[in-house]
Amino acid sequence: MNSIDVQELTKVYGTTRAVDRLTFSVRPGRVTGFLGPNGAGKSTTMRLVLGLDRPTSGSATVAGRRYADAEEPLRRVGALLDAHAAHGARTARDHLRVLAASNRISVRRVDQVLEESGLAAVAGRRVRTFSLGMRQRLGVAAALLGDPPVVMLDEPSNGLDPEGIIWIRELMTRLAREGRTVLVSSHLMNETATFADHLVVLGRGRLLADAPLREFLDARSRPRVRLRTTAPDRLRSALARSGFALEPGDDGRWTVDGAKAEAIGTTAAREGIPILELSDEQPSLEQAYLDLTAGEAPFASTSPTTRQEV
Amino acid sequence: MPTAAALRSEWLKIMSMRSVVGSLAAVFVVTLCITVLVSAAVGRSEARHAGFDPVFGAFHAVNFGQIAAIAFGTLVVSAEYANGALRTSLAAVPDRSRFYAAKMALVAGPVLAVGLVTGFVSFLAGQAFMGEYAMGLGHPGVLRACVGSAVYLALMALLAAGLTTLFRSGVAVLSLLIPFVLIVSFVLGDVAEGIAAYLPDRAGQLVIRARPTGSLGPWTGLAVTAGWAATAVLAGRWALLRRDA
Repeated sequence: MNSIDVQELTKVYGTTRAVDRLTFSVRPGRVTGFLGPNGAGKSTTMRLVLGLDRPTSGSATVAGRRYADAEEPLRRVGALLDAHAAHGARTARDHLRVLAASNRISVRRVDQVLEESGLAAVAGRRVRTFSLGMRQRLGVAAALLGDPPVVMLDEPSNGLDPEGIIWIRELMTRLAREGRTVLVSSHLMNETATFADHLVVLGRGRLLADAPLREFLDARSRPRVRLRTTAPDRLRSALARSGFALEPGDDGRWTVDGAKAEAIGTTAAREGIPILELSDEQPSLEQAYLDLTAGEAPFASTSPTTRQEV
Repeated sequence: MPTAAALRSEWLKIMSMRSVVGSLAAVFVVTLCITVLVSAAVGRSEARHAGFDPVFGAFHAVNFGQIAAIAFGTLVVSAEYANGALRTSLAAVPDRSRFYAAKMALVAGPVLAVGLVTGFVSFLAGQAFMGEYAMGLGHPGVLRACVGSAVYLALMALLAAGLTTLFRSGVAVLSLLIPFVLIVSFVLGDVAEGIAAYLPDRAGQLVIRARPTGSLGPWTGLAVTAGWAATAVLAGRWALLRRDA
């Protein structure tokens, strides 16, 4: 199976434990979001998987083998690590031709990935003239070059315009649907929630969570209902009997903490109270993530409400 | 064969960067132009002096061509250390010994080829201006100098490439090597004794002299330069293999 397996992986730089006894697996057929504050060890983990850095201890394998042991590794794993890691003096097409040649990939495939990443029109331009978004597209094109069953992307939506973000989201979903293994790190929580099926969350180099997105959210958010009614007083007393409190929310709506829409709807119907609008509040990945990583970010500001990763 | 693929990739890397191709072309252009200019301007008057080494006179411009060769060796490697391009390269060719061997082969090979053309063409072009002092290819030491100068240029390019890998910086190597070959050599002049004779450029340039003096011969001098180059290449390899990329 084409999974990425990380076993007791540890990387120490000087006195810093960048990755600390990390164990997790990334399975094929779904998009795994790789989350964590800056400095949590996400990029280091990816470099260790690619054999670019040497682990202090532990192992990282792809489909049971070390990446560095592959003869033509671009056909097994496609990776976008750093959008700037292409020499600026080369054209986009030459950059990809160089990579293709090293793994005996045809020039036809180079043109294919240029087309697929929307760079066909600028393929002959030097990379140094590219915007960050175009470099990201080039990095993704390079990752797809060998048509690999495993894809690892470090912050792929960085610098992309809205159209690019939709493109990368659809690409990742498609790759996973095709049965590939997709690992994507990101700082954009709400963005990650739109494409990830599974989450691996790091903090200070350690594993904080490894769970399906749905399960992760449900485990970390209290249910809450938002509603509109013409009879708040009657509803309040009816809910009080079931142990729920009706709180005034913003824009004329009301909220009930710790309840699901089914419970509130049933109560209101029994009492004959008119309800104009009733919905479960969607738990936000951002909030669940911040709750989990509070205290795990080496560069966190003091006020948790304003903390935002960029 | 994966080594062939790595070589092809390295070749494309060189051919797709103007500055790198330019420095290689400069080995030929600089050596040829200086040979012709010097031969035309002062060639015959120099040749009249007693103790003039006609072979060294014909190949003296290699001193300037080697700067382009050093620049080539440096640029080929330093391109990998710009913006972490090395990570992309090593992700494509994770066998670092193979990657480095391919890179060094494509530093030495093109310089050797361009150096051979440069040696013969600039010798013949220079001699056209030498009148009654002109030598043919059969003159003692000339053929040896044509081939030897090409080997010398390739070794200097390898020395630069190895050092650039070790220091991960083209700027550091260029600012070390170019003043070294330009100034140190000129200051030492024709002193061919003691430690100075064993410096990489002094020893290697014995191969372009008609009658080398001192303890080293033309080929043993070149072998000393090869020793320097091998040391730099091995030091670079050691660093590349043990460092995190």
